[in-house]
Amino acid sequence: MITKLSHTSFFVSDQDKAYDFYVNKLGFKVNTDAMMENGFRWLTVTPPEQPDLEIVLFPASGQNGFDEEVNKALRFLLEKGVMGAGAFYTSDCRATYEELKAKGVQFKSEPKEQFYGVEAIITDGCGNWFSMTQPKQGF
Amino acid sequence: MSLTNDIYQRIASAKIFIDQNYHESIDLNEISQKTFLSRYHFHRLFTKIYRRTPHQYVTRKRLEKAKDLLAENKTVTDVCNEVGFESIGSFSVLFKKEIGSAPTHYRNAAWLKKQEQKHHPKKFIPHCFIQMHRIGK
Repeated sequence: MITKLSHTSFFVSDQDKAYDFYVNKLGFKVNTDAMMENGFRWLTVTPPEQPDLEIVLFPASGQNGFDEEVNKALRFLLEKGVMGAGAFYTSDCRATYEELKAKGVQFKSEPKEQFYGVEAIITDGCGNWFSMTQPKQGF
Repeated sequence: MSLTNDIYQRIASAKIFIDQNYHESIDLNEISQKTFLSRYHFHRLFTKIYRRTPHQYVTRKRLEKAKDLLAENKTVTDVCNEVGFESIGSFSVLFKKEIGSAPTHYRNAAWLKKQEQKHHPKKFIPHCFIQMHRIGK
């Protein structure tokens, strides 16, 4: 029986920029930040209240095991913003929106009432965008 | 009760202020004045939004920072002072109660893990990633 998701990857156009976004702006914790012998940087972060889910911030370039053709395609998809979406939960979408806006985070949409709660769309500046949702009770 | 954008902005700016000054003595009157709210209303709104009282939030912030500093192998005394606790005794008791182990014990374990991650990072990477991305080859 599978019980949990422990690791997932976000491809990012720039690991330093991604570090700044997820750690300094969103307040995620760094789990591992280690440099391999071949120059590959294994960088994982965890959401503040979900320490057992490691998000791998994977570079879409350099020594990542893919050839240049694949990396070029990845960067193209990141630039187009079509790499797939995800959803983060927040205890209060409007307050978090104001906080992140003050920190310079870019949004694709402001907080709006949805059937399942209050939701804003956030971008990480590295090619990915997410729903930031305050779920309604029962969701 | 729905709040205005202006109120959200004021409470969010208070949270940012706490995040930047958690190691100082945080005075509820001072913060509530910055938000142009009464102490009572500020406390009520902050607690409603962040599901912790301002005091609980500051304490949690200090403990989280203490975990980071202990993982850097700093002494318990230095960490206690750096994050804004006034007495090592109360810091140690609270740390153990909230985090589950004494600061010294936590530091030793976290430091060891950090060293292991630094010198043998592949031990911490699921093999599917190593295989797919030829990590370390």
